[in-house]
Amino acid sequence: MTIIKRIFEKREITALAFLIILFLGVGLRNPDFMNTQSISTVLKGSVLYIFLAVGMTFVLLTGGIDVSVGATLGISAAISASMIRDGSSVVLSILLAIAIGLIIGLINGIGVAIIKVPAIIMTLGVLGITRGTMIVYTNGKWVENLPDSFKVASQANLGGLNFYFILAVIIVALVQLYFSRGKTGRFFAAIGDNVEGSILVGIPVKKITVIAYVASGFCASVAGVIFASQVGFVTSNTGLDIEMVAIAACVLGGVSLSGGIGSVIGASIGAIIMTAINSALIFLKVPSFWNKSIQGSLLILIVVSDVLIHKYFQDKARKQRLSARSSFVGGDK
Amino acid sequence: MSEKKSLIRLNEIYKSFADNEVLKGTSLELSEGEIVAIIGGNGAGKSTLMKIIMGIYPLDRGEIYIEDKKINMSSPSVALEKGIYLVPQEPLLFPNMTVEENVVIGFNQNKSELGEKLRNLIKQLGWNISLSRKAATLSIAEQQLVEILRGLLREARILILDEPTSTLTFNEIQSFFKLMKDLQAKGIGMFYITHRLTEVFEIATDVVILRDGEITINGPVSDFTKEMLIKGLMPDSVENVKEDLENDLVGNKEDLVLKVDSLSGYGFHDISFSVYEGEILGLAGVVGSGRTELAEAIFGMGEITGGDVLLDGKSIKGYKTKEIIDLGLNYVPEDRHLNGIFSMADVRLNTTSAILSRISKVFINHRKEKEITQKYIDDFRIKVTGQDQSLKSLSGGNQQKVVIGRILSSNPKVIILDEPTRGIDAGARGDVYKIIYQLKKLGLAILLISSDFEEIYELSDRAEVMYHGTNHVALSKEEITMDILTLAAFGA
Repeated sequence: MTIIKRIFEKREITALAFLIILFLGVGLRNPDFMNTQSISTVLKGSVLYIFLAVGMTFVLLTGGIDVSVGATLGISAAISASMIRDGSSVVLSILLAIAIGLIIGLINGIGVAIIKVPAIIMTLGVLGITRGTMIVYTNGKWVENLPDSFKVASQANLGGLNFYFILAVIIVALVQLYFSRGKTGRFFAAIGDNVEGSILVGIPVKKITVIAYVASGFCASVAGVIFASQVGFVTSNTGLDIEMVAIAACVLGGVSLSGGIGSVIGASIGAIIMTAINSALIFLKVPSFWNKSIQGSLLILIVVSDVLIHKYFQDKARKQRLSARSSFVGGDK
Repeated sequence: MSEKKSLIRLNEIYKSFADNEVLKGTSLELSEGEIVAIIGGNGAGKSTLMKIIMGIYPLDRGEIYIEDKKINMSSPSVALEKGIYLVPQEPLLFPNMTVEENVVIGFNQNKSELGEKLRNLIKQLGWNISLSRKAATLSIAEQQLVEILRGLLREARILILDEPTSTLTFNEIQSFFKLMKDLQAKGIGMFYITHRLTEVFEIATDVVILRDGEITINGPVSDFTKEMLIKGLMPDSVENVKEDLENDLVGNKEDLVLKVDSLSGYGFHDISFSVYEGEILGLAGVVGSGRTELAEAIFGMGEITGGDVLLDGKSIKGYKTKEIIDLGLNYVPEDRHLNGIFSMADVRLNTTSAILSRISKVFINHRKEKEITQKYIDDFRIKVTGQDQSLKSLSGGNQQKVVIGRILSSNPKVIILDEPTRGIDAGARGDVYKIIYQLKKLGLAILLISSDFEEIYELSDRAEVMYHGTNHVALSKEEITMDILTLAAFGA
């Protein structure tokens, strides 16, 4: 039992095992899924989700949720793409897109941490506003004809690995280091674990919560720029429903929806799994309009099994504690 | 006292929540190496005062001086920086973090150095606690130790200990006192909140009694006797109630209503007792002694692993809660806000929610609902502006009256009251006591669960004391004294 418990505690490992099993399983049906071409496509495609999942992890750790990331991704993609198309400097365009992500995150953070709007409502409202603004900005039209130089960047390889993927790995490593070693890194999980306790040990709860949403907005806007570069055009539906994938990726990688538990490594593995599932459906010749319902079912399946496993162990621990207390009867004086 | 350096001085602190004035110009001083015991009933303002010192609540009026400098205690981080640490009554740890992470979080120093310091500290104290365990797996006592470690590692100069011994065993308390003395020798000042008068004389240098937000007694422990302190603690209203009603207290031990026969479950073991009609049986015991688990098991909300519960001679073991209510046993839970009230709803709905299906056919019978609600408002003197006032706008005492009214509306024969006056101010407590006496006069069998031994002492006809999940001491009316209750509750 303790072994099973340990494995469930190390969710990064279960997630990784799941990923390998997924490749092997689908590979049995269609060996093409296992070749390097396909694997590198999955890794490349997962970059977006990895960025979103990293940002989402900040927010989930504090016990919140950010459903506005899809819209943030969309508006940053649209703005950076249109500016680059119209001849602005690439660096300036990217910086502006990221600035917008930061502002959206700041608005979310202030709403949740200071005005105390429930996170799902605050970010849902911001989702609507952002998506509306994006459509007004683009007039509902596609942003196309991006210069090749911008698109080519997404094809760049370093040592056989996609450049953006390497960038994502570096970011994940840095954030992981920050969470485990950084001075304020544990604060995010602490807030989600026990808010009152956090206040008592002097953690600036409001500030850290705002930072979590700003980090999420930042990551979403970076994902937006990467989307524009990878895909080469931006439609008004860009980023639609992608928050579901990001949340599912986090939960799959062991980030708790009630806050306090999780790592960005787990969340990133979850992001790769979500991409791999999309890709596997193609190899299994499942029509792509099933994708969203499969992602949704998967999200619910993971959350429900997570809750059940957790409840089982918690109940058991509680009973053990209570029994231990009543077992040494009377006697000791 | 004057030769010692003053650590903290509070001057005329006022604090109200909504209309409820909790602190009415409280002044207090703590100097180096002093242990100031703060005693007072539930709702006297002890916790509020400590939370103000800690910067968790802002104060309405008054000043705080630390080492004779006026401080604006605006947030807990200011308090921490000034060397104040609060060890809360219910430990506030991070369940998903390890012990070490729990202790070192919030520090600005190098983590490995801190870890080293922590290990030295534990060795010095001679404690046995694994640093890599997750906080969720610790017992309450162990969690308390972690909290204290936090304070010590911060090199706090002022420690606030909020009933630290309420969950510790006898041996743990002794080593805890030794620790306190060590700290005292190092010049650390401590506020020590407690309910236990014996501890005051054992450990404290000074004693303060807080009653209804005012300090009624303040001075060196040596100036007082236990009797003086008890007298200082007793709310006047309660004494009157006791005198008024004592004559009526004739327990007629004829009709056995509830019998618990060597009942076992998670958190309690081999419990036996009986409750008769028109009798109050006090079930005393410290937090964590298994009382609430027992009550929940009787009420069909927890698992029973052995033994039996008989209501009117009929076993109700394994029945569902709803069936148990219909058979005439009802339960007023400990945590009103969590389990007892519909806070947004009005007084009427709260009073009648348990019996809506009985007084209605297809639609709710509003006339009857109003009648019943008015009856309880009048009977219990519940202070409301109308039946449609929302429950959350009532004071704690009045909320509790509404909850008891609801329970009564279901016509129970047995009623289990779990900590009925927790978080209620002294005046309202007298009212709740009167209600409990009324119930007794009506012939109800009452099982009164309380960790407030004064309450058991005031109200009970007989008492059972729980310790580590068993009821090893049964007391008759004459035997119930604060001392015996306290000793028994600690297994001595």
